[in-house]
Amino acid sequence: MSLNVLGAISPAAAGGDGEGFHAPTPAEFYQPLIGHGDFAITRPMVVLAISVALIAWFLVATTKRAAVVPGKGQWVTEGAYNFVRNGVARDIIGSHDFLRFVPLLFSMFMLILVNNLFGVIPPIQYPTMSRIGFPIALTLLVFVIYHAVGIRKNGAWGHIKHMIPPGLPKGIYVLIIPLELLTYFVTRPLTLALRLFGNMFAGHMLLLLFITGGEYMLIHGGIGLKAAGVGSFGMAFVLTAFEALIEFLQAYIFTLLAATYIAGSLADEH
Amino acid sequence: MTGNIAILGYGLSAIGPGVGIGLIFAAYINGVARQPEARGVLQGIAILGFALAEALAIFGLVLAFVFK
Amino acid sequence: MQHFTGITQVVVAAAAEDKTGERLPILPLWGELIFGVIAFAILYWVVATKVVPNLEKAYAERTAAIEGGMQQAEEAQQQAQAALEQYQAQLAEARAEAARIREEAREQGAAIVVEMRGHAQAEANRITEAAHKQIEAERQQAVVSLRSEVGRLSTELASRIVGESLEDETRRRGTVDRFLAELEAGNIQPEKVGEGA
Repeated sequence: MSLNVLGAISPAAAGGDGEGFHAPTPAEFYQPLIGHGDFAITRPMVVLAISVALIAWFLVATTKRAAVVPGKGQWVTEGAYNFVRNGVARDIIGSHDFLRFVPLLFSMFMLILVNNLFGVIPPIQYPTMSRIGFPIALTLLVFVIYHAVGIRKNGAWGHIKHMIPPGLPKGIYVLIIPLELLTYFVTRPLTLALRLFGNMFAGHMLLLLFITGGEYMLIHGGIGLKAAGVGSFGMAFVLTAFEALIEFLQAYIFTLLAATYIAGSLADEH
Repeated sequence: MTGNIAILGYGLSAIGPGVGIGLIFAAYINGVARQPEARGVLQGIAILGFALAEALAIFGLVLAFVFK
Repeated sequence: MQHFTGITQVVVAAAAEDKTGERLPILPLWGELIFGVIAFAILYWVVATKVVPNLEKAYAERTAAIEGGMQQAEEAQQQAQAALEQYQAQLAEARAEAARIREEAREQGAAIVVEMRGHAQAEANRITEAAHKQIEAERQQAVVSLRSEVGRLSTELASRIVGESLEDETRRRGTVDRFLAELEAGNIQPEKVGEGA
């Protein structure tokens, strides 16, 4: 099991060469399969490719002949689609022009959800989003889209002016303008990407720690440590269930915030 | 004992957002308990506030990695 | 607490193999970033062109089906309402017709009764008139006949009386009785006395 979870864990931790326990490190998330450096084909890339193929196949297969009375597959797809379309897009963006953004939000939600769930699904057990490159890629798209939408609606200058709340005393604007610009151009994209990354990264790290630690204690420890190792494995199971919840929640939050930012750019009044 | 003091920094930075998120969801639960029909509206606001508060903890995490 | 020493040792070990793994986890691999954008673009294309239109079409069809069903039901109801109204109109018409016919019949009956009564009255009058005339005629005839009879009888009687010598009571009585008897027997022929009287 540990091999599955860890993938290419360093041999020191698995083999136990007498140097003591080696806690998992961020470096273990870097798992190149072909080549090395910036443009290596890494394991998360393969996972992402598999997830895209899987999602595309499932969605197309279940909606190719979308019927008025849905079948089982279509029912599942429609459940997720309804959740994003009505629960997120329509509620946040408003019923006037939410339909334009439904494909974006739906594909984003599905991609993040499936990739996050890969973090606990046994044969893969690697959350793609724990590599910062992928959250940044998605955030970059959201960033570009919510600015593009705002500029198309209000013009470039109007979009900038739209960010600043009107009707405040003149003196406060000195403080407000940098803060608002910082929010729109730095804080929002940064937190959007880092929230997803941080949750997946920390959650997976936690699972790694409990499982490798439990294994080490079971193999190398005395009686007391063996008991602690069993407890450690138990915690790993509990945390796996908790992770599944977090993974869904993060997909939802990412989509919700993307919709909120787009709605903010589209809104008439500040 | 060796280690990275940046981790302590992250621990400290997680206190504030932890309290804040607790307050946000306490208020959310209160609101829904008083007016169950307002759940849809409150949920979006609660998640948004949660995200904003969490941003601080995320900055702490980032800085813990940056100043190693 | 000695775990932290472990961290640094593994990091050092990893660094020896490949410098990329040692990089801060919040700095992206360019390959992963670009691959992420491409992968999302592919998924977005599939969803936007193949999935969402089909689902929206199904939604629209479902809405149309529900609205169509409601419209159909409304139409059926309207038809039923129209049929009911038509039926009620026909019923009212029939009732009016029946009432009219009944009224007509009553009027006709009354007219017939009046007419018949007139006829009957006329007939009765005619019959009464005829009876009166006949009675009058018979009375006249009887008077005439009686008058001639009485005359003849009177002359007869007078001739008898005058012809016989009325000597005694007995004979006189006898004569009268004989006359009466003859009269009863019908032997006395009526004679024309009218020329004498």
